Amino acid sequence: MPHRLGPMQTLPSPMRRFKENETVDYCIVGVGSAGGVLVQRLARAGFRVVGLEAGPFWDTEKDWVSDEKGSYELYWNDLRITGGTHPLALGANNSGKGVGGGSVHWAAFAPRFHPSDFRVYSEDGVGVDWPMSYWDLKPYYELLEREIPVAGPAWFPWGDPHGHPYGPHPLGGVGDVLVRGCTNLGIRSVAGGPVAILSASHGDRPHCIYRGFCIQGCKVGAKASTLITHVPDAISHGAEIRAHAMASRVSLREDGRVDGVFYFDREGKEHFQRSRAVIVSGYAIETPRLLLNSACPGHRHGLANSSGTLGKYLMAQAGDVVAGRFEELIRLYKAPPAHALSEEFYETDPRRGFARGFAVQTVGPLPVAFAKQMVAAIGAWGWGMRRVMMDYNHWATLGVLGEILPWEENRVELAEEKDRHGLPVAKVTFTLHDNDKKLIEFGKNKVMEIMWAAGAKQVVQESRFAHLVGASRMGSDPSTSVVDKFGRTHDIPNLFVCDGSILPTQGSANPGLTIQALAARTADYLIKQGDNIFFSNRRDLTEPGIRYDLSPPYTKFKGNPRIA
Amino acid sequence: MSRKSFPYKATGGEQRDLSQPGYYAGYSTMAQKKNWEEATRTLVTKRVEQTLAIRFFSQEQAALLAAVVDRVMPQDDRTEGRTIPILSILDERLHKNSLNGFRYEDMPPDQEAYKLAIQAIEEMAQERFRESFPDLSVHRQELILKSLHDGKPEPENSIWQRMPVHRFWAMLMEDCITAYYSHPWAWDEIGFGGPAYPRGYMRLENGLPEPWEKDEQRSEWNAPVDSLSELEEDSAPPEHGSLHGHGGSH
Repeated sequence: MPHRLGPMQTLPSPMRRFKENETVDYCIVGVGSAGGVLVQRLARAGFRVVGLEAGPFWDTEKDWVSDEKGSYELYWNDLRITGGTHPLALGANNSGKGVGGGSVHWAAFAPRFHPSDFRVYSEDGVGVDWPMSYWDLKPYYELLEREIPVAGPAWFPWGDPHGHPYGPHPLGGVGDVLVRGCTNLGIRSVAGGPVAILSASHGDRPHCIYRGFCIQGCKVGAKASTLITHVPDAISHGAEIRAHAMASRVSLREDGRVDGVFYFDREGKEHFQRSRAVIVSGYAIETPRLLLNSACPGHRHGLANSSGTLGKYLMAQAGDVVAGRFEELIRLYKAPPAHALSEEFYETDPRRGFARGFAVQTVGPLPVAFAKQMVAAIGAWGWGMRRVMMDYNHWATLGVLGEILPWEENRVELAEEKDRHGLPVAKVTFTLHDNDKKLIEFGKNKVMEIMWAAGAKQVVQESRFAHLVGASRMGSDPSTSVVDKFGRTHDIPNLFVCDGSILPTQGSANPGLTIQALAARTADYLIKQGDNIFFSNRRDLTEPGIRYDLSPPYTKFKGNPRIA
Repeated sequence: MSRKSFPYKATGGEQRDLSQPGYYAGYSTMAQKKNWEEATRTLVTKRVEQTLAIRFFSQEQAALLAAVVDRVMPQDDRTEGRTIPILSILDERLHKNSLNGFRYEDMPPDQEAYKLAIQAIEEMAQERFRESFPDLSVHRQELILKSLHDGKPEPENSIWQRMPVHRFWAMLMEDCITAYYSHPWAWDEIGFGGPAYPRGYMRLENGLPEPWEKDEQRSEWNAPVDSLSELEEDSAPPEHGSLHGHGGSH
C-alpha cells in the first residue's frame, strides 16, 4: 500500500536516503510549520537537505481517526514541567509531534499580523519592535496564502486590508452566533475564513466536508498542514525526512561553526548527521531546549546564548473561551472550529487603559474538550456534568485571542527531570503582568457581551491560553536577541533558528501563517546567499528578493483578490 | 457493586435501567459505523467491545477509586450493560504512564498523585465518618468529594498540603470525562454526530439534524435528592483558571 496523505494524495516514493556518514548542506531540526516550508524550498533550490523529526511520518489514512481521544498521538505528550503564577497547559493545547508538527492540529485560522505588530514599541511603548516591517513580509503572506492556500472573504477590512485566493466557507452555527452578536452591537465581523482549509479542491486535495475534526488531524486533506502542502514537494525534489529522530545536541566545531546534529533514533541509538549548516525549527519550547542542551565550552549557557535571552520572552496568547447557552440548537461540532472572526479590537485604544488588543474568533470544542471547559468554567461534576453535557448541542463557543506582551521572566529553562534519552526536559515559567491582565479582563467581558447580544440565555467563560511563540527572539541588537531578521543566530554564522520562537511580539493573530511566511523568507535568503552560508562568517543583511518559482505545484495562476 | 442513587423525572419516577439517557431517543452513532472509514471504525468499535483488566491499582485502591468515579461521573441511571468504563481507562493510562505533555511544578507525577489522593480520601472518610470511603452512603461520599471540588478538604489532610487539591481534582475530572465522553453511548446521550468521515455534514446552520441524526426531545429530570453535584445557580469559575491540557481551540 502506498503511504497515503488524504484520500487522493500519496507520498512520492522512493524517498531519498542519505548515507550515515554523508554530509548534507542543511540539517533542519523539526518538520513542522516552518521546517516543512524550509525543507521544501531548499530542496527545490538544489540543496542536500535532511529534516529530523522527533515524531512519526503520518500515513493519514491509517494513523488518523475522527475521534478526540484517538488523536492523542498528534501531540507532544512527553514530560515538561510548567510553572509560574499562570502556568501554561502544554501537550494537546499547543504542541505537535510528527511530520507537519503543530500544523497537523492547528485549527488553521490564517489571519496576517497587522502592520502595527511589527512596531509595538514605537507605537505603544511596550514590547519591542521587529527588525523588519510588515511590508517586508507582505509578499510572503500573499505567496503562502496561495500555497497552502487560504479561504476567506474577498475583503478582510483590518490591518492591511486584503482578500483571499479561495472563497469563504459556508457559515456554521457558531459562526452565525458570532456574526449575530457582533452585528447587534455594531461590530464588524467576517465569516468563512481566513482559514487554511479548502473551500474548493486544490490539486490532489479535496475540499472541506465540514465534519468538525480539524484539530484532530484532517483526514480529508482539506486543512493545510506542511505534511500535505510542502513535504511531498520536498521529497519530490530530493529531500529526506527522517522521522522518529529526536535531536539531542547541535555540534560545535573549534572554529565556532556548527557541523551537524546528534540525534536518537526510535530504538534509542545515537547518530550524528553531519551538515554544513543547521536550522533549528523545533518551536518555542523544543528549540530553546535543544540549544540549552547543546551547551559546550565557550557556550556554557547554551548555544547562541551570548545575550542571555535564549529561552526568555516566551509568549502565549490569551485564549479565554466564552460559552453561551441558547434556547435553540446550535450543534457546534459541525463546520470547522475556525470560521468567523472580528479584529475590531485588535489595535491599541487608549480609552481602554491598556496597550494592544485582541481578536474574537469562533471555536468548536468536541464533547471531551467541551466537558473540560465546563469543569473550568462552572466547576461541573457529577450530575451537573451529565446535565450540562446533555445540552451540548445548545452551546456556542467564542474565543478571545489576546496579545500578551513579551516578558523576560516568561521563559523556557532546563528542568531536573530527564526524558528517556537522559536529556533534561524543558521547564516553562509563565506569569501575567498588569497590561496582560487588563487586556484579558476587557477582552473576556467584550466577548461575553457579544454572546449575550447574540441571544444566549447563559454565558460562562474559561480562562486559558493559546499558541506559543518567542524564546529565541529576533532583533537587530545581538545583546538583546538570539537571531537576526533572517533567523541567523548572532553568535554562530551557520546556525539558524526558524519557527515561532523567533517572534519578538505576537499580535492577536494566530501565528501559523506568519511562521510559514517567515520560513519562506528565510529560505529565499539562504538560497540567495548560496555557499556563503557554508564558508563565510560575513553577515549580509540585504533583502533577498522574493522567489516566485519555488512554490509547490498548484500555486501558479492563483491570485490574491483585492476589492477596494 | 457500588452504592446507587437515582435521578428522577420531573413528572415522577426514578430514572433507572435506561439504555440511553438524554434527549435523543433512538439516536445511535454506532448504527452509522458502516459510513466511517476503517481506522476510526476499528478504534471506536474496540472501545465499545474491549474490557480492560486493572493493572496499575491494587484491589483496595481500585475499589476506593471506583466509588469516587461513580460519584464524579455518575451513571446510576444507566442500565448495567450500558455503563461506560471509566476506571479501567484511567488505570490503563497510569499503567502505561501516558502523560498529557506536562506536569505542574507543584504536582507529583500522575501515578503518585492518584495513589496519594486515594490515601487522602480514605483517611478523610475514616476521620469524618469512621468508615471506609466505599462503604459510606452516597451523600457522605459526596460531602467529601464536594469539599475537594471546592478546594477546601473537609476534614483537612496533610496530603493536600503536598499536592494542590484543585490540580488533582482537575486531573481526576479530565480523566473521567475523557473516558465517558469519548464513548459512543455518551455521544448518543448528548446528540453528538460522532465520526463523520468520509461523509461529512450538510446542514451546518440552525442546529438542524442530518438525515441520520435525531431531533431533540427534551424532558425534565432532577438529580438524586441526596446528591451535591448538581449545577449551582451562580457557580463561579475556579480561581485558578484553566487547569487542563485540552486540545487547542484556536
